[in-house]
Amino acid sequence: MEHSGSALHQPGSWLHWIPLPPYMGDAVAVSWLVIIALTAVAYLGTRRMQEVPSGLQNFLETVVEGLDRFTRSVIGSEGDKFTPFIATLFIYIFIMNAIGLIPGFVSPTATLNMTVALALTVFVSTHYHGVRRHGGLKYLLHLVGEPKWLAPLLFPMHLISELARPLALSVRLFGNIFGEDQLILQLAILSPVFLGFLPIPVHFFNMGFSLFVGLVQALVFSVLAAAYFAGAMAGEES
Amino acid sequence: MEYFAALAIAVGLGVPIAVLSAGLAQGKAAAAALEGMARQPEAAGQLQMTMIIGLAFIESLVIYALLMFFMLQSRLPATAEMLKTLVK
Repeated sequence: MEHSGSALHQPGSWLHWIPLPPYMGDAVAVSWLVIIALTAVAYLGTRRMQEVPSGLQNFLETVVEGLDRFTRSVIGSEGDKFTPFIATLFIYIFIMNAIGLIPGFVSPTATLNMTVALALTVFVSTHYHGVRRHGGLKYLLHLVGEPKWLAPLLFPMHLISELARPLALSVRLFGNIFGEDQLILQLAILSPVFLGFLPIPVHFFNMGFSLFVGLVQALVFSVLAAAYFAGAMAGEES
Repeated sequence: MEYFAALAIAVGLGVPIAVLSAGLAQGKAAAAALEGMARQPEAAGQLQMTMIIGLAFIESLVIYALLMFFMLQSRLPATAEMLKTLVK
C-alpha cells in the first residue's frame, strides 16, 4: 500500500448501484438490507401463530424471551417497556456486525455515522424517559450527587460524564468493528501466495473471532443502553 | 523532518503501550473470574457473562488507541515521496 491516503476508505459492495451521496456510501444501503431482512424474518415467523410454537416461531420466541429476561434483569420490574428497544439494538447491531464478514458486503457499524446514530438514539431516549418520569428540573438536579456542598465540583463532572456516554458508546462499537475489518483486510493483503498462483487465506482464522467480537460488542452496547435506562428511571447514578 | 520522525515514533508506540496495559488488566479480570468460578461452580454462568462484559470494556480502551493510530497513520507521507525529497 504505497499511497499516503487514509486507511479509512470503504470497500465497495454489491449494493453500490443504489444512488446515495458519497458520504453515506454503501453502509446505509446495507443497513436498509439488514432492516428489510429482519422485518421479513419477523413477519414470516409470526404469520400463523400457534399456541405451541415450532420452527421459526419457536426460535424467534426463544430469542425474544431471552432478551426480555435479560432486559428485566438489568432495569428491574419496568423492563418490559424497554425490551423492544434493547432487543432491537442487540439483534440489529449483531446482524450489522456480522454482515460485513460476508464477501461483498460492508459492515454498516464500521462507519462512524452509523454508530453515532445508534448512540444518539440511546442518549435521547434515556433522557426523554428520565425527564418524563421525574420532571425536567428534578432530573437535571439528580446529577448533583449526594453531598450537596460538593455540588459545584460534582455537577460539571457528572454533566461531562453524561455527555461522554454517547461518545464512548459510538467509538467503542465503531473501533471494534472497524478494527476487525481492517485486521481481516490487512491479513488478506499480506497473504502469502503459494507457488505464485495459490493464495493462502491467512485471514480465515479471524472470521470466527470477528463474529465473536461482533456478538460481544452488540451485547456490551445493549447492556450499557439498558444500564443507562435503569439509571435514568431510578433517578440516581447506578 | 523532525515532525515526521516524531509522528512515526508516535504511530509505532501508541497501540503497543495500550496493548501492554490492557493485557495486564484483562489478565487480572480473567484471573478473578476464574477464581470465582473455581470457588462456586454454580455461579459459573453469571460470572462468565460478567467477565466477557468486563473484558469488552477494557478492550474498548485499546480500540481508542487504535483509532488514534489510524488517524495519525493517515498523516504519514508515502515512502516514495520521502525518498524523492531525501535524495534531492
